Amino acid sequence: MQQRVGRRLLGGLLALTLALLVADLAGSPVATAVRRGAATVVGPVQRVLSAAPRDELARLEAENVRLRAAAAAQAEEQAGLNRLQPLLDADVAAKHPLIVARVVATGLSAVGGRRLTLDAGSRDGIAVDSTVVAVEGLVGRVVAVAPFTCDVQVLGSAGAVVGVRVGAAGELATVGSPTAADPVARPRGTLALTFVHPGRPAAGDLVRTLGSIDDTPYAAGLLVGTVTALDPEQDSSRSLGTVTRTGTVRPAVDPDTIDVVGVLVPRPRTLPRTPVPPHTASNAAPTTAPKTAAPKPAPRKAAPNTVGPKGAR
Amino acid sequence: MRPTTLGLARVAYLLVAALLTATLLPRLGVPGHAMPDLVLIGVVSTAVLRGPLHGAIVGLAAGWVALLIPPVGSPIGLTALVMMTGGAAAGAFRSPSSRSVLRPLAALLVATVVVQAGRLAAAALAEGSAAPAGQLGIVATTMVVGLVALPVFLAADRALVRRRLG
Repeated sequence: MQQRVGRRLLGGLLALTLALLVADLAGSPVATAVRRGAATVVGPVQRVLSAAPRDELARLEAENVRLRAAAAAQAEEQAGLNRLQPLLDADVAAKHPLIVARVVATGLSAVGGRRLTLDAGSRDGIAVDSTVVAVEGLVGRVVAVAPFTCDVQVLGSAGAVVGVRVGAAGELATVGSPTAADPVARPRGTLALTFVHPGRPAAGDLVRTLGSIDDTPYAAGLLVGTVTALDPEQDSSRSLGTVTRTGTVRPAVDPDTIDVVGVLVPRPRTLPRTPVPPHTASNAAPTTAPKTAAPKPAPRKAAPNTVGPKGAR
Repeated sequence: MRPTTLGLARVAYLLVAALLTATLLPRLGVPGHAMPDLVLIGVVSTAVLRGPLHGAIVGLAAGWVALLIPPVGSPIGLTALVMMTGGAAAGAFRSPSSRSVLRPLAALLVATVVVQAGRLAAAALAEGSAAPAGQLGIVATTMVVGLVALPVFLAADRALVRRRLG
């Protein structure tokens, strides 16, 4: 009798699990609702657990501990701010409202790749497809949002492909997770670089994001990583138009050590772009400055959106 | 069905273990490749006393608990299915007459290997490559924690059943 009840229970649960599994793989909103519900319930608990542990000692000692903890928290806050300051000063952050968040949980899933949970959510103004940055560079993008937390898909997850510009010349390429189809095996933790045309890249070139419309999901000009190696060319004759180079990129951000991050909240552009007066064009500065894609705020502001990546759209 | 003390304790343990594994232990500096699978230890402790069917049900439910702690990976439900297999495998070690200490530990070893094999397959799907060395670390730490915790859990379980609280 109990066996039959148990078997029926298992069958029901199993059917429910399989139904949700298939629904999620098919991209059903039910799965999103389940994620959101779970994050709404558990998120606040995780936020509490991530805070500094309380000490239950004798009163004076407790006070001492509390003050020490406060001092440590201050120091850590200051350290976090110091680490964050370059990010806030950067050109990208200047254009966007930036929400500072901390990582409260990490996980690895079969299809979504490596994910992080941040302690900020839709109540803080975070929306799906916001860009997530650390001081070192690009972390990933927000893929799910709950009221108090949000989930981030880290760069290098299967399916996360970023359009990038490589080196000083700003050659177009894409960066994604290494696949079995790559001509060489890449070290674990690195990314695969694929040029869209035959370029002349070199090891050591910096890789920065190309940017997307309205800066979602990836804002422009963020550091992705450094080219560490280029795959040998498949065709030595270098016939143009047939061979595109591939290479290995070491990401600027180590996904295992991410702590304080900034979420760039997308803000649609409303003001029209002002045309550059003719006499500034003879200065020759605006033609070279945006091509390097270096984070130099001054030349960019002097010549807003003339030749830069965003001007192309 | 009335909730029993044993049932409530089981649910409470699974919730706490899942939260610890996802949030608190990484915060305290336990690396991901040495994270003991606390949830699975709870599943094995009840499965090994009651058989594969019970193990599968508890494993599936525990898998759902572990799964719903954010970050909720995709696809939803895979962790639960893997955990169910692990629970059923541990349940196969049931022997009502045996009081051996080694039998539950063997069940834990088999269940951990089953679950980690599932995770390894999932990681290979997710990242294109997998590091079995990290999985070995998880098996090792789970066995070490299980060596201490499993006899305690089994004794508590038997004591509660004897007092008709299970």
